[in-house]
Amino acid sequence: MILLQQSPAWIDLDPTAPPDLLGAFLICLLTLSIFSFLYRDNPFYKLAEHLFIGVSTAWYTLEFYDSGVKKALLEYVPEKVHALHDPALAAATEMGGYPVTPGWALAWRMGAVALSLMLLARLVRRDAWISRWPLALIVGIYAALKMTGETQARLVQQIRETMVSLWSADASAVTIAGNLVLVLGLVCVLVHFLFTFKRGRTLAGFSRVGVIVLMLAFGARFGFAVLGRIALLIQRISELSSYGQPDYSMGGRGWVATLLTPPWLVGGLIVLVLALAALSRRGEPEPPAA
Amino acid sequence: MAAALAFDRRWIYLGLGLLITGLYAFGSPEELPPAAPVQEYYDAIEKLPEGSIVMLSADFDPASAAELYPMFYGTLHHLFRRNIRVVGVCTWPAAPPFSREAFRSIAPQYHKEYGKDWVELGFLVGDDVAMGIIGQSLRSAYPNDALSKAPYDSFPLLRDVGDSSRGIAMLITISAGFPGILEWIPQLCTRYDVPVLAGTTAVQTPSLYPYHPRPLLGYLGSATGATQYLQLVAPGTPALVPVREENQRRMVAQGWGHLYIVALIVLGNIIYFRSRRRAA
Repeated sequence: MILLQQSPAWIDLDPTAPPDLLGAFLICLLTLSIFSFLYRDNPFYKLAEHLFIGVSTAWYTLEFYDSGVKKALLEYVPEKVHALHDPALAAATEMGGYPVTPGWALAWRMGAVALSLMLLARLVRRDAWISRWPLALIVGIYAALKMTGETQARLVQQIRETMVSLWSADASAVTIAGNLVLVLGLVCVLVHFLFTFKRGRTLAGFSRVGVIVLMLAFGARFGFAVLGRIALLIQRISELSSYGQPDYSMGGRGWVATLLTPPWLVGGLIVLVLALAALSRRGEPEPPAA
Repeated sequence: MAAALAFDRRWIYLGLGLLITGLYAFGSPEELPPAAPVQEYYDAIEKLPEGSIVMLSADFDPASAAELYPMFYGTLHHLFRRNIRVVGVCTWPAAPPFSREAFRSIAPQYHKEYGKDWVELGFLVGDDVAMGIIGQSLRSAYPNDALSKAPYDSFPLLRDVGDSSRGIAMLITISAGFPGILEWIPQLCTRYDVPVLAGTTAVQTPSLYPYHPRPLLGYLGSATGATQYLQLVAPGTPALVPVREENQRRMVAQGWGHLYIVALIVLGNIIYFRSRRRAA
């Protein structure tokens, strides 16, 4: 909910101020256009979808360019060239926390640039093989990086956390029950994925319990997914209701003032256009559902 | 039965929309008891000595801001209220506007000075590789800050952090997915022994269970966790009271929305099993 100190202007370029009227209309139009897909595919939805893709692509490109090209190359290289002639800057040069000379830092950065350019060789069919060298390097480095950290966090630590005491003297009954469920559930799930032996009645029984444990886990995940989606819906409704305040009204008093706010005006327009389109299609066969 | 199977699903969407809108408009805020991980999240920040340096990572985008921005906002209030110094980073390209808005609006309320009490380093490309670089050497990862583009060593706060991440007392990540908390843990927390707190979306919350309470000291799961946390922080922070009440109002609609979905699942299963029995 937006708390307004004064009536919003039509256009306000202060980024810290609450949205202006134009912004409010755009927010309502795009939100309700996306919701209109629940009725059926329509031009309002298409407009919002294309705008979303276009704007996010532009934003991501800009951020990646700023962090990956501008700072890492266009600013870094002149800075290090300057450091070649400045002993104070040269002393402060480092790579990954280790002090190096500016020349060494520049050489490594140029090597990285060369590898990046080699990746682009994929665009030329005849020389596509060149891109395999940097790709091999990326895969190797990434595997090494993941292996060290991930082994510790996702394997060693996880195994350690499952080695719990089942009959600890100072533990409450709830803790002991929780530990039992953890250990038995883990064993049963692992048995379900055990394909080395032929499944007799005992193994099949464990496996069946393992399936139930997995289903419970998937159910919990689904429940959380629903929780998240409803939270998003409530947030959109909350924002729409913010722009339904009299401060955002085009005029009038009471319920007329409410009807002349961006969510009602835009919502009314979308409903009107879709209703007219539905009327004009009357008698035509329905297209197959998406 | 045929009528039930041919039921247009758009009526279900309309029902949910009307239910949520009605409850949000007319429902009153309700207090929620804090869950254990939320209380641990709050306690972990309370236990930090004044002047400690915390790295606050915004790892989300507009799609998850509904759940995560209240967490980020509340956490920043909590940290500044406790006189803890904050280094802001982002590993999601769409996160900087949220992070910047929160720092700009909250820091002046506590008379915090840029460079001394807080610094914004901005977005770093490279996902979990970038996290590894941040852990190894914050100076190498960010030679300049994001706001003034000044060199790393020109800020007293960053000089106190030093070269490696060992100057960081705690990492707090508000995380929506990849890269996020599940990458911070192997790349920074277990490798450099940095304690971690997290706020996550509902979808990601079950993935955190295996990491709690070690190395994850506490976490805020979904909008519910955010509301419970705001309830804990708001009493000492008047600026958070409207945000807490807004979140509490949303929780009423959230609870009934869940009941609506559960009722539909039960109804759908009854129809399914009855139709199967008839077919047999």
